[in-house]
Amino acid sequence: MLELSPADWQAIDVTLRLCLYTTLILLVIATPIAWWLSNGRSAARVAVQAIVALPLVLPPTVLGFYMLIVLGPRGVVGGSLESLGLHHLAFSFEGILIASVLYSMPFAVQPLTEAFGNLGRRPAEVASSLGAGLIDRFVTVILPLTKGGFVVAATLTFAHTLGEFGVILMLGGSIPGETKVLSVLIYDYAEAMNYEAAHRLSLMLLVFAFFILFVVYSLTRRIEVAKV
Amino acid sequence: MKYRHSVLLACALLFATSAHADQFTIAAASDLRFALDDIIEVYRKDHPEHEFEVIYGSSGKMTTQIMNGAPYDIFFSADISFPEKLKSEGFTATDPAVYAIGRIVIWSNTLDASTLTLQDLPADPRIRRIAIAQPAHAPYGMRAQEAMQATGVWEMVQPKLVFGENIAHTAQMVESGAADVGIIALSLAKFPAMEKHPHHLIDAKLHNPLTQGYIVTKRGGEKAPVMNFARYMKTDAAHEIMEQYGFVMPK
Amino acid sequence: MTLAIKASLQRGDFTLKIDIDLPLGGVTMLFGRSGCGKTTLLRITAGLEKVRDAEVRFGDQIWQKGRCFVPLHRRRIGLVFQEQSLLPHLSARGNLLYGYQRTPESLRRLHLDEVTDMLGIGNLLSRPIDQLSGGERQRVSIGRALLTSPQLLLLDEPLSALDTQSKREIMPFLSRLAKASGIPVVVVTHAPDEVERLADRVVFMRDGRITAVEPLREALARPDSPLFADEGAVCVLEGSVLPVRDDGLARFGNERIQFLIQSDRALRGTPTRLRIHANDVAIARHPVEAISVMNQLPVTIERIDTFRPGRVLVTGKLLDGQMLTAEITEHSRRKLRLDIGQPVHALIKSVALLD
Repeated sequence: MLELSPADWQAIDVTLRLCLYTTLILLVIATPIAWWLSNGRSAARVAVQAIVALPLVLPPTVLGFYMLIVLGPRGVVGGSLESLGLHHLAFSFEGILIASVLYSMPFAVQPLTEAFGNLGRRPAEVASSLGAGLIDRFVTVILPLTKGGFVVAATLTFAHTLGEFGVILMLGGSIPGETKVLSVLIYDYAEAMNYEAAHRLSLMLLVFAFFILFVVYSLTRRIEVAKV
Repeated sequence: MKYRHSVLLACALLFATSAHADQFTIAAASDLRFALDDIIEVYRKDHPEHEFEVIYGSSGKMTTQIMNGAPYDIFFSADISFPEKLKSEGFTATDPAVYAIGRIVIWSNTLDASTLTLQDLPADPRIRRIAIAQPAHAPYGMRAQEAMQATGVWEMVQPKLVFGENIAHTAQMVESGAADVGIIALSLAKFPAMEKHPHHLIDAKLHNPLTQGYIVTKRGGEKAPVMNFARYMKTDAAHEIMEQYGFVMPK
Repeated sequence: MTLAIKASLQRGDFTLKIDIDLPLGGVTMLFGRSGCGKTTLLRITAGLEKVRDAEVRFGDQIWQKGRCFVPLHRRRIGLVFQEQSLLPHLSARGNLLYGYQRTPESLRRLHLDEVTDMLGIGNLLSRPIDQLSGGERQRVSIGRALLTSPQLLLLDEPLSALDTQSKREIMPFLSRLAKASGIPVVVVTHAPDEVERLADRVVFMRDGRITAVEPLREALARPDSPLFADEGAVCVLEGSVLPVRDDGLARFGNERIQFLIQSDRALRGTPTRLRIHANDVAIARHPVEAISVMNQLPVTIERIDTFRPGRVLVTGKLLDGQMLTAEITEHSRRKLRLDIGQPVHALIKSVALLD
């Protein structure tokens, strides 16, 4: 039953690249944000926390709409790029990558904030008193002690990016091999009443998503058990 | 997943609001967005007692929705093949009927499209992104593809193509400036806000006709106001508005 | 060596206002009730609490002033926290060497063998830290801090999370720490007995301010000493445990004065301290015979202070010059007609070896 067409493979390739890059970029960006957020409850922190969580409640179309405006040729970002002789970012892989990073941000920031919060400041203070600088502390102390949080953040980000649709539809322009991800392809198949193809990909995505979530939940359970 | 949710919710709301026999819902292809709005405005003046609403979307999507029980009473498709499919599967109360012939144009928000032809699209360096509707399920996209194939530019424009979910979405891609040009419905390019940018009418001989057909669904067939609205679409008043938007009226 | 701190901080109800040049050397204890700001002061010193416009200088090094802020990992401070703070993903050895490996070779003055010997943790090295007792963990923490060859050791309530047994186990190491390593030590504590056991100098804090900085001897010589607030007046005598004689009894003291003590686990020969509650000391004009009290020592009365209503503190000088304090009633004092300069006998009901 898994006879995938070249278009399917192309969409799988785009989707996996998008998920992978989004996850890698977000781990780098989310780590300092989460660290800062876990450090207390000032008004600024609460505000940032709320901003980070926005994609959880906003319709993807809102983000897609604003991203199109900002990244397009007349937007702040797209326009500046154009004036530098570069391309604007609407309808490009880079564009949907940026959108994905924003859209999946809470799924990376929240598990890390929680992991850092549970860890507390003490291990970092200890490492600092023992002469370890910022990066050294992070690599030799924080990372090994919160690796569970990083695994959860990475998996959730990956899985959430996999399920992205509205933002990409608005910003991506469904370009095969560039911005046409699985969810959009499935939508096109369903629209064209090609139910067999839609089923094929939907089922695959379903199984894959289940597998990822299964891994996450068994990992979080193991981490909780380990804590006890 | 979120999308599916909102469809369910929309359906639930529709069921809730269409409880009365006098109320009905029109499903219409998105190329009709402006023309039908104008017609409805006139129609409402004549028939203030009729309560109805109109939903625009891609013809393919609405066909699927009707087959899955969406509470639409009358369906104006951008292509007659969809009403025919619904008829053959027994979802209709009337035979598919043609209500208009559509045209496609090259339109741009940034360039003077009236000076552009299909042949210019591949090579013009100012044109980096060309928006068309998704040919797999949007009739206007299919016709755009046919026209470009007939002109022999289809292969060459591939790297520049971006795809809208329906023809209105495609027009919005161009309107926002994110795509430099688009092949969209003449009916949309004629909308006052968009008409200030000139367009290039694509020769109808280059593609199959955009024969736009409608049907009344099973549930709509039982409602007198629905049949009344269907008849109104054949009046001169309605035809006049449709023609203003560039539709060709069937003889 | 001095530690100069200038800082003020307002956080809710809590106000901290510090401006002090603190001479360092030996063990300096920061004493005050919980919430008085002593831990905050320690954290400002360490650079863990970044208070605006604060100034911190250690000797001729500026750690914080204006825009200049030296982060903790460049201050070369050894830190020991109250609760167990070993890095859980490392073994005892891994913890001990974490800082050592990050100390430039030229600055390393203390090495693993010395430190493990000093703290008696040589046999724990390969153990995962969850298999260490509370006392063992705290000794590893201290060893870990020492192995960075710090220029200053800061200990934040290092004993308060430990049970009595663990405290007893770790006290001797702490008391030798400053002398054996030559590193000035600052210890935050709220326990008077820890001050009495360890301190060379005491910094008293109250409500975010420093109220006094004085040597332990002076801190114990005034009847209003904050150290007496809960448990009453005490005095602390320095000496060492002497060899057991024919009578089978252990003794504490020096050539001039000796106390009989009941101790089988005393470390012979090492200098230590004896704590005596003023309540446990009685005064007699003449030596008393046929009495259960085992320790009677001649003293000369140095001063007499009113302590609580109806009670006085009589401070007497022992033969070796150390002071012994007795708490007696005003009535007894009048009856015995006690006065300054008078030779009397102190009867000591019980003593506690601080180990």
